[in-house]
Amino acid sequence: MNITRRALMRGIGVAGLAAATPGIFAPAIAQAKPVRIGILAPRSGAMGTVGECGIRAVQWAAERMNKDGGIAGRPIELVIEEETSPKDTIERFRRLVLQEKVDCVQGLISTGVSLGVAPTAEEEQALLIMWDGTTQDGVKEAMPKSNYVFRSTDNECEAVMASLLAIKYFKGKIKRIAGINPDYSYGRNNWEAFQQILRRAGVEAEVVAEQWPKVGTMDLTSHVAALKAAKPDFIFSSMLFADLPVFMKQGSAAGLFEGVNIALPAAGWQINQLKKEFMPENVVFGHNTLYFALPTASPLQKAFVDDYMGRYKEAPHWEADRAYFALAAYKAGVEAANKATGRWPKLDEIIAAIPEQKVQSLGGPGQFRKDKIAEQTFYQGLSTNKNTYDFPTLSTVDSFTADQLQKPPGVDFWDWIKTSKLPV
Amino acid sequence: MRIETSVRAVASPAAPPLSRPKGLWALLVIVVAMAALPLIASTYTLTLMVPFFGFAIALLGFNLLFGYTGLLSFGHAMFLGVGAYATAVLTSKLGVRSFELVLLTAIAVSALIALPVGYLCVRYTRIFFGMLTLAFGMLFHSILFKFYGLTGGDQGMRVVRPLLFGMDSAGGKTAFLTGPFYYYALGLLAVLGFVMWRIVRSPFGLHLQAIRENAQKASYLGVQVSRTRLAAFVISAIYGAVGGAILAVSIGLADPEMVYWTQSGNLVFMAVLGGSGSFVGPVIGGLAFVLLHDSVMAATQYWRFVMGAILVLLVIFFPRGIAGIAGDVVARFRKGS
Amino acid sequence: MTVFLDVLLGGVFHAAILFLVAAGLQLVFGVQKIVNLACGSFYALGAYFGITAVGFAAQLGLPSILVLPVLILAGLAIGLVGLPVERVLRTIYNRDESYQLLITFGFLLMFQDVFRFFWGATPRTLDNAYLVYGTAEFLGVQVPTYNLLVIAASIAIALGLGLFLQRTRMGRIIRATAENRNMTEAMGVDSNRIFAAVFTVGCMLGTVGGALVVPASASSLDMAVELVVEAFAVVVIGGLGSMRGALAGALIVGLIRAAAIMVLPEAEILSIYVVVIAVLILRPAGLFGRAVA
Repeated sequence: MNITRRALMRGIGVAGLAAATPGIFAPAIAQAKPVRIGILAPRSGAMGTVGECGIRAVQWAAERMNKDGGIAGRPIELVIEEETSPKDTIERFRRLVLQEKVDCVQGLISTGVSLGVAPTAEEEQALLIMWDGTTQDGVKEAMPKSNYVFRSTDNECEAVMASLLAIKYFKGKIKRIAGINPDYSYGRNNWEAFQQILRRAGVEAEVVAEQWPKVGTMDLTSHVAALKAAKPDFIFSSMLFADLPVFMKQGSAAGLFEGVNIALPAAGWQINQLKKEFMPENVVFGHNTLYFALPTASPLQKAFVDDYMGRYKEAPHWEADRAYFALAAYKAGVEAANKATGRWPKLDEIIAAIPEQKVQSLGGPGQFRKDKIAEQTFYQGLSTNKNTYDFPTLSTVDSFTADQLQKPPGVDFWDWIKTSKLPV
Repeated sequence: MRIETSVRAVASPAAPPLSRPKGLWALLVIVVAMAALPLIASTYTLTLMVPFFGFAIALLGFNLLFGYTGLLSFGHAMFLGVGAYATAVLTSKLGVRSFELVLLTAIAVSALIALPVGYLCVRYTRIFFGMLTLAFGMLFHSILFKFYGLTGGDQGMRVVRPLLFGMDSAGGKTAFLTGPFYYYALGLLAVLGFVMWRIVRSPFGLHLQAIRENAQKASYLGVQVSRTRLAAFVISAIYGAVGGAILAVSIGLADPEMVYWTQSGNLVFMAVLGGSGSFVGPVIGGLAFVLLHDSVMAATQYWRFVMGAILVLLVIFFPRGIAGIAGDVVARFRKGS
Repeated sequence: MTVFLDVLLGGVFHAAILFLVAAGLQLVFGVQKIVNLACGSFYALGAYFGITAVGFAAQLGLPSILVLPVLILAGLAIGLVGLPVERVLRTIYNRDESYQLLITFGFLLMFQDVFRFFWGATPRTLDNAYLVYGTAEFLGVQVPTYNLLVIAASIAIALGLGLFLQRTRMGRIIRATAENRNMTEAMGVDSNRIFAAVFTVGCMLGTVGGALVVPASASSLDMAVELVVEAFAVVVIGGLGSMRGALAGALIVGLIRAAAIMVLPEAEILSIYVVVIAVLILRPAGLFGRAVA
């Protein structure tokens, strides 16, 4: 189908009717031509829930920005494609760039997928702003220097912060640590970072159990039993998706959490499923870059959270902030370059303008560094069940900026953890 | 078994017409059409064709098992994975960038893995064979996932752009994929397609079909059933690995998702879509699947439902696939004229 | 001792759920010779529908103590979806079994979007139901009573199914049809009816399994494809088509996995495949299967 239509278009072009094809318009009309933003986010499978939240947020953002004149006077048009396996997502990415001719692609949550798509973006010389999906390994090797790819903050930020808060709140009570983390690089890196930071803070803890359930494991009774048998006094878990609520539910039912302190750096992603019935209090609870009930929230965040909770009857989480941030950073870059040049900027002018633009995102201020890595504000704290929702909120909110949690440009993450000056 | 056999044979996966060289002509038509495609098609369509060449080669091998030998593998994606990971290890870890060397290694490794796996699997037929291959496929998947020091785990391994005939090419990746690599992969498809054509028409290929029709009778006639099946298994694994190597280059990554059992299911889908009963059917199916998948995904977010429904309708109404439909149309046309 | 008991209970709980799905798979294969890849979808369907049903029951004001019967009824009710599915399958009974396998793969794809359409992408949970029956404590082990009830329900279903197949007239007809369809048809059995009934019961085993697991777990979009692999492992170990095989296979998979988690967590998934392949090498037809080929 596509072949024939494209072939026809080409045929027309060759026949000298090129002026009739879209793309060659008078400049005045070009101003009103929409800016096309391609979105790649998961909609099904384990990650579907996360992708959905990001898609809702970017739609909200586009609608709001369009009311306000879009991007430098041009309305935003979203072209949404699904993020699935690396192979198919790369094909969807190429479709967005080559076929849909979008101005910018945003999205991506899975690390494995982003490691495949990012080099493709470099090779296609297409602008890609990632929502998520940046872990340490692989990135180093696959994306040593990026010209077209803007990456999210490191996935390990939340583990670093949770580790620091664990020390802040529970130092002296951490003697026997146990980890249950998803069996992929994200889980492995988080667990390793936690142990290293403890060591640096002079906490001599014994590792009594390590569990690596496969992502998507819906029966964790045996894991809970194994953890319980190890008698830990501190459990660190960076589990995600439905796995985390299942773990908390089954752990709570088996009495695993009695007298045990817990850190859940990625809990905010599943906030709606972590019901009070099985959530102990005073858990180090990670909300990453968006805490929906932040007392000092900006009017922007309040407006978004109200709309979101009103429409979908659930709380938004950090993927919404990442999606908003990506679009807002692009808008800021385009508008800055537009102001400087007095015309619609070229791609390299936009790319040059995006870093250093201070962007007000949903969760708070943020910006891209010169090396095209995001710096945003992170929220974690101790959880409480005293609220009007059916899931926990934070009793104390700690907020760190990314420069405190993220390795500086050009430094290896593990070296940085060993040598950096930790803020706590 | 028993009486049912005769009933089932009516729509058994294949009864390829052997006498006429129709299949070879059809393959030639596809290859020539593909060779001319860059003149008219958009760049994006061309980037979709490279994975198609990979699938087509893998499907030719797959159909040697399915269509010709009557063994349905539900773990064939494993061999695509072997090819992909061989490409990744050689190009990014060992610095071997010659694609010819990569292909030879992929062939050798896949044969080495296929021998023991095949030895265990070909003792079974029918559904048992399918389940066993599925088990091996998933074993391979979890090994890829688990030993991530070796394989990169969920993140997979990067594939560096290979050298074709020792030559590096200038330009971006798209130019590479739609230019030199496009023709290279197409050339491989043509060569391997011709080789497969010779295989299925050789005495060996006839033995396979005899085994499919009646293994017991074939063995009375002196066909070494297990050994012949094993040979078919290894050949199909090799074709899978070559296809996987092409896929890996076009993706730029070897990742465990490639060998998840649903990917094996997609391969079967392609074979049946095109029609496993003809030599060229699976190749047509691969092309149809790639185009269908692309346009359905663009059209609706519920593309899984649509693809599933297409598969169900296909199995019920057109079990002989596109090739079967085309064959009927041609036959009717001939009758009419 | 406590540790041992904990492992045992965790493993048996897992096995209880696996058994139900595998039994559905076995029943359908035994009689219709169809390997149903959509068994995982029925399991997920039961889980999603169970949540909806319990929510509905709560709205009607039913006490939460009834959650178990509500879930079982919900599983049985939604299991009726097997009837229309069987109606579609019926069109290809006399085709090669690879087509039958493939059509169930088509259903698996379709169901994924059905779940997303009706229940959304966010995983669903059933929260206050899990501890409704409290926790039991014995020999120093604390275990939710619900887990024990699920194990008991699964055993009851296994026994009931066994009795039904062995002792009733209908059961005998079903076994005879499994043995030789042409013969029973010659004796006047309407095998279409038998097939519809068997497939629906097989489907119900899956949906009830899904409904039962959901208070302890969650329903999510990836649960169908994930479960298929485990159910297949059970069936391959136990022997295709054998009910006793499903039971033995489920227990082996459940316990091996639990033991691996306790002793060697890294081998959690691999251990299952190692057993699968070992069984296939040493006893190709599975523990209770009949010789093949």
